Amino acid sequence: MLSEDIVSQIKEVLGEAVLELKSPEDKRIFLKVPSERVLEIANRLKDEFGFDMPISAGGTDYPKKNVIELFWIIWHSEMNKVLILKCEVDRENPEVDSLTKVWPGVQKFERETWELLGVNYKGHPRLKPLLLPEDWTEGYPLRKDFDLKPYRSKWGEKY
Amino acid sequence: MSARIRGYSPFTEIEEVGDGLFRLNMGPQHPISGQGRFIVLTDGERVFDIEMDIGYSHRGIEKILEYKTFVQGIVPVERMVMLDTSNILMGYVGAVEKVLGIEPPPRANYIRTIVMEINRILSHLYALGLLSESAAWNPAVFLWTTADREPFLDLLEMLTGARWSYSFFVPGGVRADIPRGFVERLRKTLDWFEKRIEVYEEAWIYNELFRMRTEGMGVVSRQQAIEWGLAGPNLRASGVPYDTRKNEPYAAYGELDFKIVTHNAGDSYARGWARVEEMKVSVDIIRQALDNMPEGPVKTRMPPRPKPGEAFFRVETGRGEMNVYIVSDGKEKPYRVKISPASFRNFFAIEMLPKTQEILLADVPVLIYSFDPWFLDADR
Repeated sequence: MLSEDIVSQIKEVLGEAVLELKSPEDKRIFLKVPSERVLEIANRLKDEFGFDMPISAGGTDYPKKNVIELFWIIWHSEMNKVLILKCEVDRENPEVDSLTKVWPGVQKFERETWELLGVNYKGHPRLKPLLLPEDWTEGYPLRKDFDLKPYRSKWGEKY
Repeated sequence: MSARIRGYSPFTEIEEVGDGLFRLNMGPQHPISGQGRFIVLTDGERVFDIEMDIGYSHRGIEKILEYKTFVQGIVPVERMVMLDTSNILMGYVGAVEKVLGIEPPPRANYIRTIVMEINRILSHLYALGLLSESAAWNPAVFLWTTADREPFLDLLEMLTGARWSYSFFVPGGVRADIPRGFVERLRKTLDWFEKRIEVYEEAWIYNELFRMRTEGMGVVSRQQAIEWGLAGPNLRASGVPYDTRKNEPYAAYGELDFKIVTHNAGDSYARGWARVEEMKVSVDIIRQALDNMPEGPVKTRMPPRPKPGEAFFRVETGRGEMNVYIVSDGKEKPYRVKISPASFRNFFAIEMLPKTQEILLADVPVLIYSFDPWFLDADR
């Protein structure tokens, strides 16, 4: 099946939940939905379209727009397509439903995003520090207002 | 009430948690653990839970990359996996090329393919060595695999000037063309290496003792492999015919003819076996690339700034699929780079396994090394 066909099918099925949908190249589908409906849409994408294998998840911080854009990247094992499911959450109070019940493999990625970007995944089974030290209190490193300069100076000015 | 007692090894600490259960810390300085820690919940024999505690070598590479130009980013990225630098680097360089909108010349693609396949052999040799060590085949196989990596490291030194972390790939091509005498030496090495693979098979991988130790242990079904997002040879050993080289060809893989190694068992033996078979495929790919190598330049000019946009690039490293997602805002530095390495995904499967089947404490090292873990990769 061609990416364009899937794109038009997704548009038809999800209707007004689609905020942005494009397929700039073969095998890549970018889909943006409202953050409140992520869990419901993820379930439908898995059951009705068959996107079954999670390969990545994370987020990008946009302080100017005051949002954090989250993404989950899912591979379709039969059609060999990659879906990049996105949603935007408020930067002050970032909260979204965890998709671990739909795709168990995103668990570690969501845990990492919770730690590095400060996004609260509701319903996640194991939200505790993963990469950073357990007593880390210096903020969320992947946010844009987290400055690396004080950490660099320890190792010399040349970096 | 939990009593802390010292275990038999100075590196192992046992904590009693009640109900006859013990929490056993393997690592971060345990001989079997690498740079991470496994927290194993056990009653002395059966394992009920494994928790992978990673992050001991977290360097914040994703954040560092936001402060570097696209070319400067090469250096931190390839230090993620020292054994497998060029495959890892290909993921980053490929994504950068997509953002910049450039294509490397055909000859560069072939040179990349050869370097990446040599790296895959190096990575698999090390993985097999560690698997043999964890299954108590230590004296022979681990030393063999370590020694057999040397001729390939020498070849890479001849080509790139360094034994590892050579920053050989740059956006738009490779840094240098193949030197005189390299092709002949590589062909000779491959002929010799094919015979070495036969030795591994005869002495070790088809050996009855090794099969008894690993067969039927740590079985991941096809369904589970997909749900948990397993990667690389581990995924293919569970019967999912996914190989990024075939499914989304990059470099010269689209023009070469090779097979995807799959096994239906999904146990520890299948994962070890898949790596041996993949080394044979790698030898085949290198031979084809040498035969079909086109003439021409090895590098194109790289524009300093990309257009604003995003790119998602997948690459098959030695440990499995790695994907890189780059968001660019049109400046000479990336706005955000998300790297999802293979080991990060494989660790999740290790955590899930004791919940679905019976794993014994003695099996834990073999189980973990059958997945070929690499903590620096997962930590970033």
